[in-house]
Amino acid sequence: MVSAVVPFDAKRIPRAHTLAFAAAWIVLAVVAWALAPVRTLPGPSEVLGALSRLWWEGGLGPELFQTVRLIAEATLVSAALSLGVAWSVTVPALRPLVRGLSKLRFLGLTGLVFPFTLAFGGGHGLKVALLVFGMSTFLVTQVARIVDEIPRAELDLMRVLGASRARTMWEVVVRGTLDKTLDAVRQNVAMGWSMITMVEGISRAEGGLGAMLLNQNKHFKLAEVYAILAVVLAVGLLIDLGMGALEAALCPHTRLTRSQS
Amino acid sequence: MNAPIVLSAKDVHVSRSGTAVLGGVSFDIVDRTREGAVTGQVVCILGPSGVGKTTLLRVLAGLDAPDAGAVTGVAGAPLVAGDVGLVFQDYPLIAHRTVRDNVVLAGTLRGLSGPKLEARADELLARVGLVAQASLFPAQLSGGQRQRAAIAQQLVVPRRLLLLDEPFSGLDPAALAGISELVVAVANEHDLNTVVIVTHDVRAALRVSDTVIILGRGAKGGGARVIETIDLCARGIAWGEGDDAARARIEREITERLTS
Repeated sequence: MVSAVVPFDAKRIPRAHTLAFAAAWIVLAVVAWALAPVRTLPGPSEVLGALSRLWWEGGLGPELFQTVRLIAEATLVSAALSLGVAWSVTVPALRPLVRGLSKLRFLGLTGLVFPFTLAFGGGHGLKVALLVFGMSTFLVTQVARIVDEIPRAELDLMRVLGASRARTMWEVVVRGTLDKTLDAVRQNVAMGWSMITMVEGISRAEGGLGAMLLNQNKHFKLAEVYAILAVVLAVGLLIDLGMGALEAALCPHTRLTRSQS
Repeated sequence: MNAPIVLSAKDVHVSRSGTAVLGGVSFDIVDRTREGAVTGQVVCILGPSGVGKTTLLRVLAGLDAPDAGAVTGVAGAPLVAGDVGLVFQDYPLIAHRTVRDNVVLAGTLRGLSGPKLEARADELLARVGLVAQASLFPAQLSGGQRQRAAIAQQLVVPRRLLLLDEPFSGLDPAALAGISELVVAVANEHDLNTVVIVTHDVRAALRVSDTVIILGRGAKGGGARVIETIDLCARGIAWGEGDDAARARIEREITERLTS
């Protein structure tokens, strides 16, 4: 227990102790929230009550399903486009194009709503397009950097072994960086998830948590608003956990590398 | 009749960012013969740090083309990447494949497959002492184990020329003896096999090689050239022959040459 308060000893703490610390911090946060003298925020019991009402009477389940479907679709499209673009950074003639696309991340989404509405006709298509744009520009940047950082020795090894360029691309770039790529996608999903309520607010026709949040906000139902935010946070964490499990299943060597680094 | 040349460098020049690294490296390695024994060649390229040893090795491996000059192998055939084995200094392996899969991959890439390849991989892992580590990932291996896995990977398809970049660095005495023994055994599998080792460890080089090539820049500077080729067979200390005193004398001679 002594090393729990000593800097740089985190890796020596047993996992059970780490979980216990996390649980203790959560309990502390909830207690602080419940006992806070300033009453600008609804208390835990009010938020729990609102959550129950939203789930059983307010249609929170179907709205949540819409939102999860939207992020899943946006993630798949974004990953497919971004990885294809980012991997092409290996081709010298395409490098400037990849770099240029990556710079588009500095464009805000707000100004793009109008042209995207014209292009995708509003509704579901618009929401997917906005999310894909917002996510892809960052994912391209991250994955292109991962590809750039592949050690030359790995590429040389494939040449020495007599591998074709296509096989080298698969073995070193695609499969060889899958752990880091999945990690980048994981961060990207988190980014997309944090944007999702805003995007759903732009086009409310399909509903979703974002539209629900704005509706509750409009009527100053703060307990409901925080209940929806709690759901957003919890589902975001679950998605992150799932992505982590996928990475561990597909890249078992990653944990070994990390544990020894 | 002259012995056939198994490896030749002719006036090899390489520059990097306008600076000459290799300034006309030339040497010929001939097929060694010993009565009653299959004998390959073990050549050590010695030189001070930064002289261009690894650059030369990359040219010999066919990874980099020289700016001028040429390197050829057995019967004057040009050396092409993929036809020459090379064990890099930091022993890169494919991180997402197990040790055994790394060896099998090397065979697959050269057109082998099926039970024959599987058996060859197992045989090589046994030979380098990595049977127990066959299902581990590279990240789980020690430096010495990675080196042996990298060597097994290069041996899965027989190639006449095997290059090793600093194979003696950072090894304990037992590992050093093991790798020395393996190098000699690989060379002696076929008369035309040649193992070229780049090292700055003079003592280890003398333990395994029959030819020592010393690279240096010379008094006028410029790119590295061969400043001396020592035939250890002619000096009577190759193949485990000769006494310690003779070996120590040559070691001093080479060290003086390297530091002068």
